[in-house]
Amino acid sequence: MNAEQALVAASPKPADVRMLTEEVWASFLAEHGPLQVGTDPDFAPDWSASVTVKGEWNGVVALEMSTSGAQQLTRSMLALDSAAELVDGDLVDAIGEMVNMIGGNVKSLVRGPCRLSLPLVTAGRFLHGSAQREVVRLGCTWAREPLAITVHAGRPTPRETR
Amino acid sequence: MHALIIDDSRAMRLILRRIMVELGFGATEAANGQEALDLLQVGLHPDLCLVDWNMPVMDGYDFVTEVRKVREWRDITLMMVTTESEHAQIVRALAAGAHEYVIKPFTADAIRDKLELLGLAQDGAFA
Repeated sequence: MNAEQALVAASPKPADVRMLTEEVWASFLAEHGPLQVGTDPDFAPDWSASVTVKGEWNGVVALEMSTSGAQQLTRSMLALDSAAELVDGDLVDAIGEMVNMIGGNVKSLVRGPCRLSLPLVTAGRFLHGSAQREVVRLGCTWAREPLAITVHAGRPTPRETR
Repeated sequence: MHALIIDDSRAMRLILRRIMVELGFGATEAANGQEALDLLQVGLHPDLCLVDWNMPVMDGYDFVTEVRKVREWRDITLMMVTTESEHAQIVRALAAGAHEYVIKPFTADAIRDKLELLGLAQDGAFA
């Protein structure tokens, strides 16, 4: 098994990430229907939230959403009606907490002790490092809005592969 | 009964507040461990603290450790509510003085069940 294959083997599996993501969604956002997994993830996200896992396994878990999807998620979590005004800070908080829960559970899927970072939320698409390889991508629809969950694993550095 | 909800996410604090109010608790919120410690130091004395682990300024583990140093606060029940699910981390938090541990995502029923175990569930709440 080469280093790339070992990286994939040590990383969380799509079926497991799917299961825990559905569980996170069902726990807090069930009133807008279940998360539909398996739709086309190829959309231009307005928001991305990510958490970094560092330790025996290194990687990044990201959640990408449209503004409309992020607003619905935020209203649902804050129990606000559709007319309630939201500021960017509300969206940042809500989608940051969602990726925190997904990332924390992804961390439990890998071997060895790891640490989870605080969430980082930015406008636009999630940008991963060049040394990271995408090992999971779940395209989803929720409340008629597209979203994507990705897991990127840290590639071995050239020194490690020598 | 009063709960102090400590989480850096406003959304999560709100979710926990809704659950606690339904269970018959009053609730106060803090955005990190230091804010929560400040509230205790000025006289807030909750029956229960719901404590997230990963927070800026002061994390939940350090908060639990600090609370357990103070004799007057020994009757406060500390329950971690966090995404930290590694066995070693759970053991560490319990050894530091946390009484119970709930892993996010959780349901209202899971919180109620833990409160029952701790003897903090109130009669008639959540019927």
